Amino acid sequence: MDGLFLLIPVLLPCLAAAALAHPAFQKPGRLNGLTVIAAVLELAAVAACVLFIKSELPILKLGRDLQVAFRLDGLGRIFSALVALMWLMSSLFSREYMAKEENQRRYYTFLLLSEAALMILCFAENYLTLYLGFELMTLMSAPLALHTQTEKAVKGGVKYLMYSVFGACLGLLGFFTVYTFGSSTVFTPGGVMDPGKIAGHQGFVLTAAFLTVLGFGAKAGMFPLHAWLPAAHPEAPAGASALLSGVITKAGVLSVIRVVYYQFGAGLLRGTWVQTAWLSLTLLTVFLGSMLAYKERVFKKRLAYSTVSQVSYILFGLAVMNSTAVTGAILHVAVHSVIKDALFFTAGAVILKTGKKDVTELGGIGKEMPVTMWCFTICSLGLVGIPPLGGFASKWYLAMGAVESGIPVFSWLGPVVLLLSALLTAGYLFSITIKAFLPGADFDYSTLERREPSLWITGPLLALTAICAALGILPGAITKFAGAIASALM
Amino acid sequence: MSDFVLLVPVFLPMLSAAAVYLVGRRSKKARDILADILGIGEFAVCALLLAYVCAGRVFSLEIPGVCGYGLSFKLDGFRALYALIAALMWMMTTVFSREYLAHYRNRNRYYLFTLLTCGATVGVFLSNDFFTTFVFFEIMSFTSYVMVVQDEKPGAMRAGETYISVAVIGGMVMLMGLFLMESRLGTLNFDRLHEAVTAKADLKELYLPGALILFGFGAKAGMFPLHIWLPKAHPVAPAPASALLSGVLTKAGIFGVLVLTGRVFLRDEIWGNALLALGVITMLLGAVLAVFSVDLKRTLACSSMSQIGFILVGIGMQGLLGEENMLAVWGTGLHMLSHSLIKLVLFLCAGVVYMNLHKLDLNSIRGWGRDKPLLNVCFLMGALGIAGFPLWNGYVSKTLLHESIVEYIGLTGGGIYRAVEWLFLLSGGLTAAYMTKLYVAVFVEKPDKPFPQTGRYMGLDSALAIGLPALALPVLGLFPSPLMGGAARLMQDFMVPDPQEVSIRWFSLTNLRGAAISLAIGAAVYFLFIRTVLMRREDGGRKRYVDVWPQWLDLETLVYRPLLEKALPFLAALVCRVLDNLTDWAVAALNRTLLRRKPIPPRNDGDYEPGDFTPHVRQSYTVMRISGSISFCLLLFGIGLCLAMGYLIFILLTR
Repeated sequence: MDGLFLLIPVLLPCLAAAALAHPAFQKPGRLNGLTVIAAVLELAAVAACVLFIKSELPILKLGRDLQVAFRLDGLGRIFSALVALMWLMSSLFSREYMAKEENQRRYYTFLLLSEAALMILCFAENYLTLYLGFELMTLMSAPLALHTQTEKAVKGGVKYLMYSVFGACLGLLGFFTVYTFGSSTVFTPGGVMDPGKIAGHQGFVLTAAFLTVLGFGAKAGMFPLHAWLPAAHPEAPAGASALLSGVITKAGVLSVIRVVYYQFGAGLLRGTWVQTAWLSLTLLTVFLGSMLAYKERVFKKRLAYSTVSQVSYILFGLAVMNSTAVTGAILHVAVHSVIKDALFFTAGAVILKTGKKDVTELGGIGKEMPVTMWCFTICSLGLVGIPPLGGFASKWYLAMGAVESGIPVFSWLGPVVLLLSALLTAGYLFSITIKAFLPGADFDYSTLERREPSLWITGPLLALTAICAALGILPGAITKFAGAIASALM
Repeated sequence: MSDFVLLVPVFLPMLSAAAVYLVGRRSKKARDILADILGIGEFAVCALLLAYVCAGRVFSLEIPGVCGYGLSFKLDGFRALYALIAALMWMMTTVFSREYLAHYRNRNRYYLFTLLTCGATVGVFLSNDFFTTFVFFEIMSFTSYVMVVQDEKPGAMRAGETYISVAVIGGMVMLMGLFLMESRLGTLNFDRLHEAVTAKADLKELYLPGALILFGFGAKAGMFPLHIWLPKAHPVAPAPASALLSGVLTKAGIFGVLVLTGRVFLRDEIWGNALLALGVITMLLGAVLAVFSVDLKRTLACSSMSQIGFILVGIGMQGLLGEENMLAVWGTGLHMLSHSLIKLVLFLCAGVVYMNLHKLDLNSIRGWGRDKPLLNVCFLMGALGIAGFPLWNGYVSKTLLHESIVEYIGLTGGGIYRAVEWLFLLSGGLTAAYMTKLYVAVFVEKPDKPFPQTGRYMGLDSALAIGLPALALPVLGLFPSPLMGGAARLMQDFMVPDPQEVSIRWFSLTNLRGAAISLAIGAAVYFLFIRTVLMRREDGGRKRYVDVWPQWLDLETLVYRPLLEKALPFLAALVCRVLDNLTDWAVAALNRTLLRRKPIPPRNDGDYEPGDFTPHVRQSYTVMRISGSISFCLLLFGIGLCLAMGYLIFILLTR
């Protein structure tokens, strides 16, 4: 029964969250201390699970063929490790960032609870468990988005909630469809759809599949249900927006992978209108996100639009449906999480230390916060896809996958749009770097003061930057692992 | 010696860059010494490697898995020689920059980024597949940007913007080409490209990837119509950086073009013609711009562009001449070599002028060099070299290029190629003309008013950095067979798979005739055009250099910037904004129509309204917003669906 160990990563954050309610945890430092300790333990627990646990764990039997159950497969391993790592980074970051904020107990409680919800999502063995985790995650993370309680934050948070719930409804439609036309709802590589049952209902099943992708795609910020993202992310505290952008959007990606490759099956969708429509939507989103980020002047909002674009790179790879592209997609999940976390941390650090929210105000900031802005620069190079950093390898696989796929039009249009978007990414990120480090010959150096944040912020930033570089220079370990997963799915 | 030694010249500068930066924060003197040592060390390593290669050793190294695809390096004659040239230039410019940069801010940054660029550039020259080339090429592009904008003045920032935009766009386009190339050939490795191409009968489907890759490399080389960054970036960068940009970084672009021509489109006429056409335009346009320019460094920059055009012409002729292309091969290689060395000398001379006067326009620096024999001689060596004067190195390489065109005319009977020959000679003539213009302006004419005496105008190390390469130019030209011929023999294997014997009579009468025609054209242009049209007498005073080139006639400000900065982003952003708000608008429309709520009547706490038994509970703004939106309906809908699911499960349980 070593499957029971899978409960630890789920229960540990819940217990920690409950403990936070104890009056002993009143001071911000203690609240954060407990959260950090919980996050460290969680990372260790997840690492242990990822390395050692192979069996599955049924939790609640609801009927002959419906149950809530956990299982850790290859995909779950990557995602859960990523979640645990990012949560630790964010907890560390929050110590300095949240020090002056109100309602810290609420913040940390929901931070921990949403981690637990994500773990359920990662460990889900079947559609029902996934759905449960998905809804829980939405509800648990909404208070993070609402945290500052300004009018904008409330609006954004509510928008987030509604879009996600609507998306989940569409996901539910998928569940019913799979339940009716498939042989089981357990995630099986290659899909579970029963050709005998589908016969005659082709159109309905495809439509349902498309709507499901659209629904879970809402979480991943895919057009047309992306509008919550630029509304909610910038308003949350930086630690939370890093997670919303970096990790929770990836929960949408995970759900899409599960549904498309483990339930409907790539074979069913490949070559149909669903694939074409999905590819078009992802490419549209890639371009739209980058273009709007390029035109956006509020730092965090720019990053949020950038997320819209980058997560759709991943969805594009999934929509191409061959193993190279899916490998690239999985690699890009990791790369984008790491980079977007770091970028939001930078934005947070700048706001915390200078109060500047607009990118036009950032002249010379690189001289005041050199470590922070160097991390920003390296991570933005990675996001653009400049070798040898993070984003390059993943985009290489994504584009090669598209070229190899031989899908008419998209096999060349895809890479073109990806590169065009990379160009825009360069435009909206490098302009910040250039302004920060090269303020101009007439810049007044005498007003500069040292504003580097403490190690609680620079530490996670440096770690993420190092990971970004490592993922780019030696992506071998992940690509091999992801490649094995991807080829099993085809 | 293990093949891993190839990593030394690439990563030694890159890794020690951080050390130099950190040392520089403590002591500037120590940093300068360390940077010099690194420059000399890099040169020594490259020289050692060249010695091994000359002895017949070929290094090759593959590191699988790095960046996903794996890196691949190789060292043969051409690469060893060019790595050495790069190292030489880095050594000389590093030595020179100590004095030149003495009054600059942010010098630590400069050293950090030149060292990174140095490693990356050597990486490009040592790479053995397009992937590796691309990796180092991109690093080089970005790190060299910082060298361009070193002084952060508005002009520099604007030029830097152009530079980095061209670099990023070029890089992306090239990457697209690599995707297509890889998918169509299955390999990007230089050693296997040729086989893969011959296995594939149809070259046609390689033209598109080839063109895209050419775009990327051509952008760096300064090929028309992507040359726009070159005349802007060189004048504003510090002189040592200009020398590097012009002498080495452009050659990194040429390196890629050579690979494409020699391995993929070997002896392909269409490819050759395309390159020839682009080369002729670049060559001529650069020369014309240089003639019109009244700024010392801008003239040199335009001259670089023009010389790149000469090299491209040579590469084009390689494609056209087929089996008999050895003259073009030698000419191309040697002109690259000549140009690197010449531009090192010339840009550093310009650097000396700038470092003393902080001015570059010909009217202000006029006559400054009159009483400075060393600088005068060095500049003269460079000028004679680049003008193709017999007995200097430029003559040797230009003659070979010219001969290759003549040979092709002999084979095909002329036609349009006769025009190419004349344009070639004309460009050579213009080269002589603008170099004369510079030389006369700086070293012959009298100054308007005497310059203040400032003692020594350059230190010993700067003098050595300029003097030694300047000395090499006539030496190379005086002994072409052993030196230039030897270099060409080293380089030829890289450009053609099956080199043939070449015998050249360097100073034969026909060869000298070509040079003479060029120089005659140059003299004519100088006296009949430059001294009359481009110099005007101002109210009774003496003649001054004037810039008659119309300001608006500039590809960048006329086409690229309006299009890429204004028009396209505006249109795209407009469309995107509409799409972005589409969902929100749909929600709003529904809220206004189908889901419109009755207006909430104004009320006071405790008031009862007729027919209403419950007092109004004051709702908070938040609750109103939540309950008033379509999203709330969707939420309820979701809950409903959840309940439905629960019901279904219940049914299933009890079935």
